[in-house]
Amino acid sequence: MCVQGDSGLVLTTDPKPRLRWTVELHERFVDAVAQLGGPDKATPKTIMRVMGVKGLTLYHLKSHLQKFRLGKQPHKEFNDHSVKDASALDLQRNAASSSGLMCRGGMNENVHITEALRMQMEVQRRLHEQLEVQRHLQLRIEAQGKYMQTILEKACQTLSGDQSSCMASGSSYKGVSSTSNQGGIADMGGTMKDFGSPMNFPSLQDLHIYGGDHNHHQLDHHIQQQMEKSSSLDAFFPSSNINDNICLGMKKRPSSSSYGSSSKQSHLVWSTEDDIRLQDHELGSAVACLGSQEDCHDQIQIAPSTIDSTGTDMDSLGDVYETKPIISGHHHHHHHHDSSVGAERKFDSSTSSSKLERPSPRRAQFPVDRINPMIKAQGRNVPYG
Amino acid sequence: MAMAMEVDLTELDFSGCSTTTTTTTTEDGVTCNWNDWSPVVDWDVFSNDTDDFRGLMESMMSDHDELEQVIRVQDRSNSISVSTPSSVTPTKSKEDDANTHDLKGLRLVHLLMAAAEALTGANKSRDLVRVILVRLKELVSPSNGTNMERLAAYFTEALQSLLEGAGVHSKHHHSIFSSGSHHHHHHHQSPSLHPTDALAAFQLLQDMSPYVKFGHFTANQAILEATAHDRRVHVVDYDIMEGIQWASLMQALVSRKDGPPAPHLRITALTRGNNGRKSIGTVQETGRRLIAFAASIGLPFSFHQCRLDPDESFRPSALKLVKGEALIVNCMLHFPHFSYRAPDSVASFLSGAKALNPRLVTLVEEEVGPIGDGGFVGRFMDSLHHYSAVFDSLEAGFPMQNRARALVERVFLGPRIAGRLARIYRARGVEEEEGIEEEEECWGEWMVGTGYRPVGISFFNHCQAKLLLGLFNDGYRVEEFNNNRLVLGWKTRRLISASLWAYHSSPSDSDFTN
Repeated sequence: MCVQGDSGLVLTTDPKPRLRWTVELHERFVDAVAQLGGPDKATPKTIMRVMGVKGLTLYHLKSHLQKFRLGKQPHKEFNDHSVKDASALDLQRNAASSSGLMCRGGMNENVHITEALRMQMEVQRRLHEQLEVQRHLQLRIEAQGKYMQTILEKACQTLSGDQSSCMASGSSYKGVSSTSNQGGIADMGGTMKDFGSPMNFPSLQDLHIYGGDHNHHQLDHHIQQQMEKSSSLDAFFPSSNINDNICLGMKKRPSSSSYGSSSKQSHLVWSTEDDIRLQDHELGSAVACLGSQEDCHDQIQIAPSTIDSTGTDMDSLGDVYETKPIISGHHHHHHHHDSSVGAERKFDSSTSSSKLERPSPRRAQFPVDRINPMIKAQGRNVPYG
Repeated sequence: MAMAMEVDLTELDFSGCSTTTTTTTTEDGVTCNWNDWSPVVDWDVFSNDTDDFRGLMESMMSDHDELEQVIRVQDRSNSISVSTPSSVTPTKSKEDDANTHDLKGLRLVHLLMAAAEALTGANKSRDLVRVILVRLKELVSPSNGTNMERLAAYFTEALQSLLEGAGVHSKHHHSIFSSGSHHHHHHHQSPSLHPTDALAAFQLLQDMSPYVKFGHFTANQAILEATAHDRRVHVVDYDIMEGIQWASLMQALVSRKDGPPAPHLRITALTRGNNGRKSIGTVQETGRRLIAFAASIGLPFSFHQCRLDPDESFRPSALKLVKGEALIVNCMLHFPHFSYRAPDSVASFLSGAKALNPRLVTLVEEEVGPIGDGGFVGRFMDSLHHYSAVFDSLEAGFPMQNRARALVERVFLGPRIAGRLARIYRARGVEEEEGIEEEEECWGEWMVGTGYRPVGISFFNHCQAKLLLGLFNDGYRVEEFNNNRLVLGWKTRRLISASLWAYHSSPSDSDFTN
């Protein structure tokens, strides 16, 4: 607690009041010392006379001069005060340099300091609030993504039970890409890459962590992945007013609450092994399927089809679901950076439509990851593992 | 209106034109009797400061009445036969390209406007419409070209439907997972939709634009705040679709700090009376999914359905209420992926909900620009403006992903444009005959008139929306109106809004009022 005197001196309310040496006050002190021929010649008494500041006592000056003589670093005195005081000093300096309010302002100066401090606290409060908002937003996006995942999985299961529709969706690529000229395939390569990018952070792959109890190295992997992602996420945030501040917090996120701790909470842990496996398909972005034909066959067969005469006359997902899902093992793929870049290259180099049309029923039926979760792990570093 | 219709229209080749022309951006393409086809306008006026195409459209829309709508159709056979799909000269500078694109875009706008006028204006001429549409189809394709070109292609298709009378009856019951092709006349060689197209497009839409999340999260945050201390929360959802809105609410409910931990959430989804079984089946599946999700995160949850009457009107008495639960009414309209709902049905829901004393009503709707003197052409241009902003925003979200965007456009935006034009066309007819006011309105204003009072949007909520938009693109804007309405816009165009309302006033709510 500080009390501001008439003369603009700031005194603590201790029984033995200490003076806060503001920058301005210190400057006057230094001036006086210089006038008197340096720290060694100046005495508290002469300094007091030269400075002529009401309320300043010999006691104050003696102590200050002592420190000044010792190291000529009397600012260290500020360290004696609380951290808050130190930040007040910073504020003071900022205010002095930015607005020139410090120039011999006496009392006004301190009013401004108080005001600045108040504003600073307000800013911090808001920043904190925004970080809070951001954390919540992240969780909500993830939850929504996870839910979307369940929809995609269901569609995947249903459709993969229907081999003919698989074929149909395979061959449909030709039709679709022909409508969009040659750019189509390469485009989707780009799309894939994009979906492996930070843009994708809301998607479900991030939520694997919630199931981390089951597979520790997987958890690590994901955290690491998340770190990579989030560091690039910083760059991703554009500079709209709020976000400027928030960027500071982004970096901390993955290591702190939202991942580390809530993974222990396991709010979003799915109840069965199978479910967790399903997440591993990383269906989060449908584009991935659109983008990579290989993936499409192995995953959920989300494919634009020109051939819809194959009895998939489903008007709604509800109808899709009503047909009995046949869970064929889905070969899973990982759409983190490596694999998507790899995929992109792949499609850049081999854009032959014959390849794209080739369905791969064998792989589609091969329930790799249902058999051995380790294969999954091995596959992580290999595109199309 | 000096017109000369000399060539027999049956000679026109309707089928081939859409596929042959790709990009006619060169001088050749521009000069081929182009001026005979467009309203006589000094193009140079527009071609100077053309950094923002919508700016141009805005200026055009404001003074389009003053433009001379003279369409000369003199040498039709010539201009139609000359389709010059020549490629852009490589030496051309980027600015020139942009300029050419803008010029072409403007001409497309003028052609569309001319077609709209010819369809409904004082000097109606279906033949003229037909001719203009043929010309348009030469110039554009929904699957490639600039935004404006693809957009023009969809508007062309929609106009074609109107011309053929198909759009008049179309109610566009378009669900995101329905194939959608059957209410959409494909004059272009657009492939029909696979069921998973819709799903993929929906996922894409969510990833490339903030529209869906903006609406859901803003509503959900308001729900959270309004029920912060309740042990039982009951949400009545007008159009639950796949239930994607509720995952994030559930997540938030289980992690809320104050109040009792994890309240019991009950969701009642309304199902449509008329196309009964299908709707109910979808909703049931949604319910199962929501139940599974809630279980996975440990949220006490129950799910119910409530059937709308066959005319899609809402009877509050059909709803099962539990004493002591906080009642929330959730009304999501007009999302790109949502089906169109008749205004009568929405009105019956929102006014019927008053009887339930809802703690909060969350409303998300599309923003419609000021129509001015009304009429088909004005609304047509407003729609064009609206969707050009949507197209631009999607492109900005995923600049390189033509195919992804094309899919979203084809699955959602194309049908929406067709539906929208069909409605304003139909509304025009109704107005002329019966003098009934237009059917689409701002529900927010309607809410005030019905006795709802606005509920304030919190700082948290506003902040959340800003953060969300920050994840996408600089072009998105969020504005707050009347303290109870957040509007998401793309640059200068407002696109979608989320507003908060309450009917029953109780002391605990007073914090939220203005």
